[in-house]
Amino acid sequence: MQTLNFPPVHEGDLRIEATPQGSAIAVKFAGTADMRAQKPLDSVLPALHAEITRLGVGEVIVDFFSLEFMNSSCFKSFLTWVGTVQALAPERQYRLRFLSNASVHWQRRSLQALRCFATELIKIES
Amino acid sequence: MPNPYFTLKFRPNVALVSTVRRFVEEFFAEFLDDPDSTSRIALATHELLENAVKYASDEETVLAIEIFSGADGRRSVSIQTTNRAKPENIARVRALVDEMNQADPLAFYQTVMRRSLSVPVGSSGLGIARIRAECEMSVELKVDDGVVTLLVTAATEAAR
Repeated sequence: MQTLNFPPVHEGDLRIEATPQGSAIAVKFAGTADMRAQKPLDSVLPALHAEITRLGVGEVIVDFFSLEFMNSSCFKSFLTWVGTVQALAPERQYRLRFLSNASVHWQRRSLQALRCFATELIKIES
Repeated sequence: MPNPYFTLKFRPNVALVSTVRRFVEEFFAEFLDDPDSTSRIALATHELLENAVKYASDEETVLAIEIFSGADGRRSVSIQTTNRAKPENIARVRALVDEMNQADPLAFYQTVMRRSLSVPVGSSGLGIARIRAECEMSVELKVDDGVVTLLVTAATEAAR
């Protein structure tokens, strides 16, 4: 894989860090994604998508283990990201594997809802 | 044992919403054995308060949360926010709640998720749809002379 060019992000209480993991990219989200994080997320996720497609990666591991909370506006940012992936030609689409924290209960419900939005692209692990 | 309750009258801002959410989750964890229930209460509280931050037309919002026993003896939780709002925002939330309450919660949530992709953030109703679908709460709207009350209610496990 070419070199990943995605510097860590720290916006308010939200931290985002992407690292190569074999042939995949792991993106860790930590902290809180509330109203303060929504605008930064709306620019960070498209930049991340652009980098992922530049590298031609087939799978992104989205690590929510340390994400304490996400509001609906930030959830919309992820919906938009998933919609962008769905809009790619099939051969350019990549899978999203969400790592959730079983003790953070909203994650089970929200990620299941997100998965229903794009069952062909999203897998959830806890 | 008296019903556990919590009432807060304040001027919410973006940072305080998360602070209140954490406090509400810890507060009701003292009375509920089910962490999923306290998580649902916290999530609904957060979404309701963020709506107040966005749409309240003056500075005061009242948040009231209570765990109570229904006529069937089951313990339930009610969460209510009250604030003044502009007529156009009242009309928007009324239309959303009316549409939502005629549909299956999860199906409506998926509809709003798709709809949200083509509308500006904060105007899709995703937060309220999330309360109904993910928190499994009924949603009721009351309007009285420009003052809006959103009341969400759900069954929960028995309190200690």
